[in-house]
Amino acid sequence: MSTILEIRGLGKRFGGLTALQDVSFSVPERGIVGVMGANGAGKTTLFSLIAGNARPSSGDIVLRGRSIVGLRPDQICRLGVARTFQIVKPFPSLTVRENLRTAALFGSAGFRRAADADAANEPLLGDIGLRAVADQPASTLTLSGQKRLEIARAVASGATLVLLDEVMAGLIPTEVARMLETLRHLQASRGLTLLVIEHVMRALMDLCGHIVVLHHGQLIAEGTPQAIANDPRTLGVYFGEAV
Amino acid sequence: MKDLAPNAWWAALWLATLAVLLALPFVANAYLVGVGLSLLMWLALTQSWCVLSKMTGYVSLGHVVFYGLGAYLVVVTWQRIPLALAVPLAGLAAAAFAALVGLPVLRVRGPYFVILTYGLAELVKYSVMAGEAASGTASRILFGTPDLTVVYFMMFGLALAAVALLTWVSRSRFGHGLRSLRENEEAAETLGVPVVRYKLLAFVLSAAIPAMVGAVMALRSTYFVVGQVFDPMISVTVIAMAILGGGDNARGPLLGVLFLGLLSELLWASAPLVYMIVLGVILVVFVLLVPDGLLGLLERRRARAPLA
Amino acid sequence: MAVIDTLLSGQLLFAALVTGTLYALVALGLNLVYGTMRMLDVAHGDVVMLGAYAAFWAFTGAGVSPLLAAPLVALAGAAAGVALYRGVFARLIARSSPAQAARLEANSLLLFFGLSIVVQNVAALAFTPNNRAYAWAGDVIHLGNVSMTGNRLAALLVAGSVCLVVALFLARSVFGLAVRAVIERREAAQVVGVDVDRVQWAAFALGFGTAALAGVLVSALEQFSPFSGFPFTIAGFIVIILGGLGNVTAGLAAALLLGAIETYGVALTSANWRSVLLYGCFVLALLLFPNGLFARRLRA
Repeated sequence: MSTILEIRGLGKRFGGLTALQDVSFSVPERGIVGVMGANGAGKTTLFSLIAGNARPSSGDIVLRGRSIVGLRPDQICRLGVARTFQIVKPFPSLTVRENLRTAALFGSAGFRRAADADAANEPLLGDIGLRAVADQPASTLTLSGQKRLEIARAVASGATLVLLDEVMAGLIPTEVARMLETLRHLQASRGLTLLVIEHVMRALMDLCGHIVVLHHGQLIAEGTPQAIANDPRTLGVYFGEAV
Repeated sequence: MKDLAPNAWWAALWLATLAVLLALPFVANAYLVGVGLSLLMWLALTQSWCVLSKMTGYVSLGHVVFYGLGAYLVVVTWQRIPLALAVPLAGLAAAAFAALVGLPVLRVRGPYFVILTYGLAELVKYSVMAGEAASGTASRILFGTPDLTVVYFMMFGLALAAVALLTWVSRSRFGHGLRSLRENEEAAETLGVPVVRYKLLAFVLSAAIPAMVGAVMALRSTYFVVGQVFDPMISVTVIAMAILGGGDNARGPLLGVLFLGLLSELLWASAPLVYMIVLGVILVVFVLLVPDGLLGLLERRRARAPLA
Repeated sequence: MAVIDTLLSGQLLFAALVTGTLYALVALGLNLVYGTMRMLDVAHGDVVMLGAYAAFWAFTGAGVSPLLAAPLVALAGAAAGVALYRGVFARLIARSSPAQAARLEANSLLLFFGLSIVVQNVAALAFTPNNRAYAWAGDVIHLGNVSMTGNRLAALLVAGSVCLVVALFLARSVFGLAVRAVIERREAAQVVGVDVDRVQWAAFALGFGTAALAGVLVSALEQFSPFSGFPFTIAGFIVIILGGLGNVTAGLAAALLLGAIETYGVALTSANWRSVLLYGCFVLALLLFPNGLFARRLRA
C-alpha cells in the first residue's frame, strides 16, 4: 500500500506556546488513521497545518511525494485534501445543495458548471442522509445535520484525503452508529483515505486501522487500536499512572 | 415550472422600464429626460456596487470614490484627449486604482471595512481638493460638452452594462465562489475558492462602471466641484437603494432604484434635507427590520401563498 | 530654519495639546459606548455637535457662559444616553436571537450611519445648516512666551482634567474594573457576577456625557454646523484603533499624538491638508490593524 501523506518532524509554535513538536507519522492510501489525545494535545492544529490554514514552524508535510508546506488552503484543496471544522462552518444562507456545489466547483473535482456539480452531488446527498433538506438553507439544519453537511462538503470537493475533526461530538449512540456506517460506506465506495480526530473511543477503535496518540503536542504512541488500548503510555496519559 | 409566473413578471418589469427609458429622449421634455438620466445613473451605480458588496458581503461605503475619480479624469483631460477615449480611460483608471489599494483594503473585515472604504473615499476627496487648491484651480468649467441626448444614451449604455455585469457575475461559477466566501470565508478557502483573488477581482470589476458614470455626469453638469463628485451621500444613496431592494442579483437594485430614485426626484428640489432624513430612516428601518429588502418580502409572500 | 522654529514653537505645542485633549475626551466616550456595546457608534460625533448647539443657545440666548453650561449639558447628555440605552438598545439586545444579534453587530455600522444622517439633517432642518459661532473668553493671555486665548486654555484644562479623572476612575475603582471587564469579554464578566446591565447604562451615561461636554468646549473654540460632528467620530476611532479598545491610558497618548500630527501637519503645509491628515491617519490605522480593535485573543 502506498503512502498518501507523510508528516515529517512537524512543529508549530504560537508565540510562547508549543502546539506541536517533532511529530512524524505516515498515512497509507485508503487507510483510516485515527488521531487521539486530550484537549490541547495539538490535534486540530495538526489538521490546520495539513489543510493549509496555518503554516508549520518546522518540519514538512508531504502529499503523494510532494511537499505542500506554504501552499494556500484553496491550492491544497485542489490537490485532493479536504477537512471538516470542529466548530461547523456551513454557508448559512445557501442551501445544502449549494453548499455542496461550492465544493464540487472549486475542489479537486473540478466541475465548471453548476448543473454538472449538482448532478454529481446527488448520490452523495443520499449517502449522507441530507436529501430531504437539500433545498433548505444550511442555517436551518440541526447540529447533527450541519456536521453531516461538513462531511458531505469535504467529500463533494473530490478529495481523496479527508480530515474529519470530531464529527461524532454531540451525537447520541444511535447517531454514532449511523455515522460510522456512513463513513465506512463513503470510504469504501469512493476509495477515500480518512484521517480522523475523535474523542468517542468506541468510534475510533471501530473505524480506524491505525491510531496515533498525541500528548502536549508530541506523538507518544502509534499502532493498531488493540495495541493502543493496551499501551502503557497511552493508558498513563488517559487514566493516570500504572493501571 | 412553478417559477414561471414571477419570472414573467420580472421580465415584464425589465422590458417596461427599459422601453420607457429608451423612449424618453424622443417623447418627453428636458426635465423628464433629466429624471430618466438620474434613474439610469443610479441603476448603473447600484448594480455595480452589488457586484462587490452584495456578492462578497464586503459592504463598501466608499463607492463614490470611483465616481469622483472618473469625473476628475474627464475634467482634467478635457479637450486634450477625445471623449471616446477619456470615458473608457476613466473606467480603466478606476479599475487600476482598485487593483492597487484592493489587496490591503480587502484584508479588513466586517464593519471596519465599511468605515475604511468611507475613510478612503474622503481621503481621496480631500487630497484632490488640496491638490486643486495648491495648483490654484478654483473651479473647472467644461465648454462644448455633448448635448443631453448623447449623454443620456451614454448613460443608458452604462446602465445596461452594469445590469449585464451583475447578472453574469450572479449566475457564474465566479459568483458562486463570491457567495461562498461571503457566507464563510475560511470554509470557502478550505474548499478551494481562491478567496483573495476573487475578492480583488470583484472589487476591480465594481470600479470601472461608476468611474465612467462619473465621467458622463461631469459632461452633464459641466461645472466640476470636488466636494460634489466625491459626495459621500452618493455612496449612502447607493447602499440605501441596494438594501431597499434586497437580494444579490440584478432584480433588487432595480426595485430600490425605481422606488428611491423617483422619491428623490419628488423631494430633492423642494426639501433636500427631508430627503436625507428619509434616506437615513430607510437605512435604519431596513437594516433592523427588513434586512432582506423588498425582494425578501416578495419571496416570503410567495412562499406563504399556495402553490399555483 | 523656519521649519525648526515652527516645530519648536510653544504656540503650536499648546494648540496640539488643546486638540489632543479634546480628541482624548471624545475617544474616551467612544471607548465606553463602543467597548461595552460592541457596535460601531458612528453617531458619537453627533452628540458632540448637539452639545455644541446646546452651549451656543445657552450663551446667545441666556448669556450663560460655557463653563457654567458645561456640567448641565454633560448631565443632559448622560441622561439622554441612559434613556437611549433603556429605551432602545437594552430592548434590542434582549429581544434578539443569537443569529439576529450576530447579524446586528455586523450591520450595526450602517444602522448608526443611518441614525447619524437622520440626526445631522434633523438638526440642519431645526437649526439651519449654517455655521454658528460665538465669542467667549477670547482675550489673549501670556504664559511665558506663549500667547493663548482664555477659551483655549479653559478647554484644555476642563478636557484634560475630566479625562484624567475618568481614566483614574476606570483604572482604580471596582466599578471601573467591571467596566473594563465587560469591554474585554462580556460573557465572562457576566459569569463572574458583574451586573452587565448596570455597567452598560453607566457606560452610556459617561460616554454620552463626555461627548456632550466635548461639544460645549468645541463650541467656544471654533465655528460649527450640524455636520461638524463626523470628523470627531473619525478622530475618536483613530484614537481607539491606535490605543486599543478599552485601553484608556494608551488612548490618551494616541489622542495627543493625533492632535500633534494634525496641528504640526497643518502648520507645515496648510489648512487644506487638515482633513487629508485626519483621514490619512484613519486609513493607515485601519490598514495596519486589520483585525480591528479587539484585544488579541489567544488562537486555539
